[in-house]
Parts: sequence; structure tokens; C-alpha cells
Amino acid sequence: MSDWLSPFLEPRPTGLYAPAFDAFVDPPAACPRAILSHAHADHAASGHGEIWATAETIAFYRRRHPEWPGQARVLALGDRAEERGVALEVFPSGHILGSAQLRFSDASSSLLYTGDFKRRPGRTTLPAQTPRASVLLTEATFGLPVFRFPPRAEVEVRLTAACREAFAAGQTPVVLAYALGKAQEAALVLSEAGIPQVLHGAAWKLLPEYEAAGFRLPLARPYEAGAAASGEALIVPPRCARTPIVQNVKRRRVIYLSGWAVRSAARADFDADVLLPLSDHADFPELLDHVVAVGAERVVAHHGFAEDFARILEGRGHRAQALTGAIERGAEDS
Amino acid sequence: MTDYRRIAEALEAVSQTRGKLAKIERLAAALSRVDDTDLVVGARLLAGSAFAEWEETVTSVGWATAARAASAVTGWDLETIGACAGAIGDLGEAIALLLEVPAGPPLSISDVDVFCRRLAGLRKAAEKQEALEGALRRCWPVEAKYFLKTLSGGLRIGADVTTVEEAVAEAFGADREAIARARRDCGDIGETAKAAKEGRLDEIQFRLFHPIGFMLASPIEEASELSGELPLFAVEDKFDGIRAHVHKQGGRVALFSRTLDEVTAQFPDVAASLAAAPGAFLLDGEIVAWSGDRPESFFRLQRRLGRKAPAPEILAEIPAVFIAFDCLFRDGEALFETSWEERRRRLEAIGGGLRVSAASSAASPEELETLFVAARARGNEGLVLKARDSLYQAGKRGRAWRKWKKATATLDVVVTAVEQGHGKRAGMLSDYTFAVREGEALVNIGKAYSGLSDEEIRTMGNHFRKITVARYGPVRAVAPEVVLEVAFDTIQKSNRHKSGYALRFPRIVRLRPDKRPSDANTLQDVRELFEQLSGR
Repeated sequence: MSDWLSPFLEPRPTGLYAPAFDAFVDPPAACPRAILSHAHADHAASGHGEIWATAETIAFYRRRHPEWPGQARVLALGDRAEERGVALEVFPSGHILGSAQLRFSDASSSLLYTGDFKRRPGRTTLPAQTPRASVLLTEATFGLPVFRFPPRAEVEVRLTAACREAFAAGQTPVVLAYALGKAQEAALVLSEAGIPQVLHGAAWKLLPEYEAAGFRLPLARPYEAGAAASGEALIVPPRCARTPIVQNVKRRRVIYLSGWAVRSAARADFDADVLLPLSDHADFPELLDHVVAVGAERVVAHHGFAEDFARILEGRGHRAQALTGAIERGAEDS
Repeated sequence: MTDYRRIAEALEAVSQTRGKLAKIERLAAALSRVDDTDLVVGARLLAGSAFAEWEETVTSVGWATAARAASAVTGWDLETIGACAGAIGDLGEAIALLLEVPAGPPLSISDVDVFCRRLAGLRKAAEKQEALEGALRRCWPVEAKYFLKTLSGGLRIGADVTTVEEAVAEAFGADREAIARARRDCGDIGETAKAAKEGRLDEIQFRLFHPIGFMLASPIEEASELSGELPLFAVEDKFDGIRAHVHKQGGRVALFSRTLDEVTAQFPDVAASLAAAPGAFLLDGEIVAWSGDRPESFFRLQRRLGRKAPAPEILAEIPAVFIAFDCLFRDGEALFETSWEERRRRLEAIGGGLRVSAASSAASPEELETLFVAARARGNEGLVLKARDSLYQAGKRGRAWRKWKKATATLDVVVTAVEQGHGKRAGMLSDYTFAVREGEALVNIGKAYSGLSDEEIRTMGNHFRKITVARYGPVRAVAPEVVLEVAFDTIQKSNRHKSGYALRFPRIVRLRPDKRPSDANTLQDVRELFEQLSGR
């Protein structure tokens, strides 16, 4: 199967290797040169010698690793990097601010690496593009048909309503949202509705990058300045669900904001009251749409339900396989 | 006519609500919106079954049947359905997520009643599947979710039939105790709800031959736990058999097991001897295998089980008797609300060759210890203590009855597979299959459900998700790296597990992160324990 990815990428135990650039793509551990699709920690490991990424991703990387001494090369939308006869281009993936799909191509063929993506519009993301390619290496986080998310606007309305209901019941709304991307989007939604927010430090420290991109959060303040008061919503990463920052809020309404919220079991997993399926990943129909739109002859699926998704694609007449055994990661961002 | 969607949406709302009172409120609101003609079935469905408890009816739709029906209705292949169930953590919920809103008339409560009764009546898997497909084609997603939960016998919404009792009280302004009594006596939350609404709960009377719930005992670990209160308790042997209620009137006898299933045909010898006792009664007691003048172990009795009607040879080889220890109804009079002492007096007065357990008392933990040793010497499991002034709380595990038995040993075992629990543990990987070592291999010896805290189960669940190596429907095979210490009552030979042995009543004592799989016990250890325990 690995020859489906050649000559552009080779699966190795340490990650996906791009020989033309002598670099690894989103490697799970430090390496001399890494090409990063976006800044989530499970794609952007610390300690690389050199990173190639969009300007936003580089800025996030430097913010998260202030002592990092390495070099960075900006991959701008529309630019081409060329080495050894292979061109590398980046296209928006619609996942988070600065997230990119990577297209490798030579004279005879091309490969599109989606990284993490979604096709529906986000508040802080450029719309995902659909570059053509002969081979598609797609993420499959939600690669099963049970994962169908409602329209984003509808979920945003439910988020605001859940916060208002909490206030009416004398509770503090606690929004569980990943620190990079989801938290800032939730804050934008609440700002628009006039609801002030208290942000966990992990999300708060990334605001300068959002401000630089033109997103203002006048009603946000950091948690360090004190716990949420009446009328404020608390936004923290899901991993905090069972830690004191949440559990010490005696009267709370916990809102879990994630694609995984379609599972009722998430209620118990995160001690949550309200499950809102808002995701920065493509849902199952979007994954199928992307496969069709990219028009690739062959599809390789990885992450999440890769094997199931590949089998389903095969059943629909695509040539598809799963990339397994290579890089398994935890998810920072689903 | 009330739409089933009202019931399904109410159940969904209950599952999303924290706190018992809020759940009761939502159930009560749903009850008050059900039409009178649908109230009986509607209340049953809110409690998780289309049937009255006394009907002893189950729909028994298996995982495979439901998955095949879902495949036919949604067009997804079985492998994808299975993967979806694994991803969501519940087959019914996964199927609901795959369904589209149907065209056609809404599903009514009585439609669901008809579907459930048809499914219960069908025996062949193919017929069940076809009937289920017909139902699923008419379900909205939320209806499918709760319809399938109802068929599988567990709603898992943090509310049970006693919560519905409270909701009936709230909805119709009826007395909570009167509702509990009525439900116990008629064995039907639906009938109870209707009577409560119509203000005629007191017309419901206990009827013989309708099974009722069993009063259960809470465990104690040490004799000293009860030291001060000991004189308040009567002490009886705890028998190692099958708990049963006997209903008898005229020449008719019916035996019901704890699952409220009628088991009379499995014990013709027991039923015949009880028919000789005078008058009408409902007795609580235990069916045990009997030899000469003493009970034999449960394993002997077990050889008679699983057959609808045992052959004469096996009846002769392994005779069974009923040992009565409580009398709940006698010649037209219900005794649930009388004290244990009074019920005991009535029990002893029956006569007619009825075998009655011996009751004694203990003034001190030391005396209790002596009684315990004597009970074990008689071949019984341990002791049951019953508060002398306590009423019979059908279907409840309270502190008025206590049981004391000792775990015989523990084994260190390796977890080989996990699956989701039920009830409070729904959505958590709380059921563990475990193995002992045999050379380089591991052989399964049992499965246990509890013993760890929710926090531990959650942490372990995340770990097990990471080390999952294969999925078979709801079961995840995991890399064998987690060691547990399990306690059990005894060991028996069994074909159920690869080891050739099974543990009776295994429970997890603790995680042993300090042990590696190579430190786990071996099959040889199990053989030796078996010899030791069966050689008593």
C-alpha cells in the first residue's frame, strides 16, 4: 500500500517521511525537519529542528514553545516550494486558524494530504479548498455514518441558549472546548450574544494570534484573574472536566462541544449536562464529499475509523485503503 | 391515542437530566400527558418494558438480530453497523443515528405494544428480524433508540420502576406507599398508574400466582459490624440453592425464581411435596439439592437446571427440597406489612410436612461466629440475619436483612476482554473477562462486573480503549497487561470458559498495578484450589 503514497511520502515508524524535502509530515516526535499541517499538539510535536508551516501555525508553535530555538520557513497560500523535482503547495483545510492541506506533485502525479479538515465554514478559518490530486491521503476521524453533525449555525444557537438557561437557573455555564480553535470560536459566538467569557489559560494565551488575524474578543478575560462570576461563561479544555477548575463550580451546567458529543456516553465521560456536536473535523458526509470533489484515483485513509472508512469507500466503487500501524495519536482537537 | 414519540422524548429528557427529583418531575409530566386509554402501556414503557412484571415476558431480541434488522432498514452492511455500535458504545443508539425520519403515520403507544408482543411471541431469529425491520421502518430516530433499549431490557437513563412509582405519585397526587403496595400486589406499574389516576389504588389486592419481587439482604463482612444491634436480629442459615417463591392454592402450586420466571416444571418433586401442605399461601424460601438429612452444594443442583422438565433418573439421583423461611400470604390475608416475627409464627403454623429453616439468635459477635461455623459445617453458605420487627420489602435490598458469607480465596488474573456495563455503568467499560496463565498462554476463567469505583472504571476504560486489539460486536479484546485481584465464592468445572473452570460470584477486589501478567495465577493454582474447596 505504501507505494500508493510514493514517490511523495513513505510511512516510517517515526512518521510520514517526504524524501524530496528530507522532512517528516506532522511527525509525532521531534525530528530535524517537520512540515506541519496545523498547530494542534498531536500534529505539532515539540523540539523539531526546523518547521515548515503557514505563518499562523508557526506563530502558534512559537507561542506554545517560547524557548524553541529552531528555524521556521513560512509556507504561504499560493506559494510553491520545490525540491528534487517535487512541488509542495498549501491550501486552507478549514480546521483551525492557519490549518493547511499539503499537495505534493511532480510531472506525472500528485498527492493531497488533508491533515485535519472540515468543509463547512468556521468562524476563524478560511473555507477549505478542494485541490485536485491523483492520490488523496485523508483523515478519517469521523469515518463512520453515525457521525452526522447538525448545521453549525443551529449548534451555535443551542450553545447560546444553553448558557442563557444556565444563567436563568442560577448556574455557571462551563463550556468544554479544545484550547486551540474550538475555545476561541465558542468565545466569538458568546461575544456576539453579549455573554462574557472566562478563558482557561491554555486558550487565553493564544488570543494574540487570533487578534493578529483580526478576531477580537472584547468580553473575554483570563481565568487567572478569578473564577467565573454570575453572568459569565467559563471555557476550559475537555481534559479539565474532572479537575477542580470545573468541579469547584458548585452550581454549573457543563456543555461539551465536540463531534464526539453525538455519543450519549460523552455525558458520563465528561460529567456533562449538554452535548453539542460542534466539530472542527469533517463529519461522515463531508469526508465523502471531499473524496468525490478531490477526484483522486486512489484514497488512503488514516486516523480514527480509517479501516471502516476505507472499506465503505471500496463498497462505493473507490480504490481505497487504510494507512494503519503507522502513526497513532491522541486527539487534541476532535 | 398517544404518540410513542412523547414517551421516547420524555425518556431522552430524563436521561439528560441530573438528579432524581428532576427525573421524577419529567416522568410525571410525561405520565400526565398520556391518554387514559394508553396509560397502562405508557407507564410500563416509561419503566422500561411493554409488559407487566407478572407476565414474565421478555422480547429477547439479540444483538445480531437487531444489527441485521438495522442493516436491512438503513442499507449499511453488518460490519459497518457493528463498527458504529462500537464507536457509539450502544447498538440501539447507533441504529438511531443511522435512521432517517420516516414518512407515514406516527407510531402510537399501542403500536409499540403490538410490536413488542409480536416480537415476544416469535421464536425464529429470521421472523424476529423481519418483525423488527417493520417496526424500525416506522420509528423516528429517538423512538428507535428507546424502542431498542426497551427490547434489550435496559433503558439506562438513571431511572427505574421505583422512580416511575414516584412519578405516578407526583402526577396523580397519590400516596407513595400506597403506590408501592399496589404495584407489589398486582405486579404491574401500568395497572398501578391507572388505578392511581382513577383514585382506586385500594382496590388492588394481592393475587396468588402473580410473581412478586424478592426481599434481598445487604452483605456484611464481619460479625462485629452488627455487634450492638445483634439482639434485634433472627439468625438463619444461608442456603446454597435457588431462591424461590411458592404460590399455592388448592392443588395448584407455582414456583417463581428471582427473575420472576416460573420454574415449577423444573422442580416437579418440590411442587408435589408442597401441594400436600394445607391451605393457600405464598412462601419465600430456597430450593436446595438434598441428600439424607443435609443440603448438598449448588453444583449438584445445577446439574438439574437448564432443562424444562428433568428426566426421572435425574430426579432420583439429585432430589431437591424447598426450605421455607418466610410466609407472605396465608388463606386470603397478605402479610407483607406484618413483622418478621408474626410472619414466622404463621409459617411455623402451616405444618403438613413443610420444611422450615431453623431460626436462632446471637447475643454477641462471638456467638454469631459460632453459628457461622456451624452453618458452614452443615454445608450451607453462611448466615442471613433478619430484623425481627421488619416488614417484607418486596424487590428491595435493604438493611433489615443482612447476609454474611466469606469469600474463600482470591486469584490474580489478567484482563483479556472488556465490554460496556449496564444501568449506572452504561457507557463505561465496566465488565471484564479475565484469564489465568497456562504455560505461555492465557485461558479465560471468568467475567466480573463490579468492585471498582466509577473513577477507576473510567480511568481503566480509557486505558482499555488504547490497548484494544480487536472488536467483536460490543466486546473489545484487549492486550493482556492489566492484572486484577478477584475474590469468589468457589470454583466449579465448566465448559463456559477455556480454562475448564468457572468462578462462582467473582468480584474484583482491587487493581494490581504492582503485578505483571507473568505474576498472575496459573491454571495449576486453580486446579489445586478446586481440589481444596471441593474436598470439604
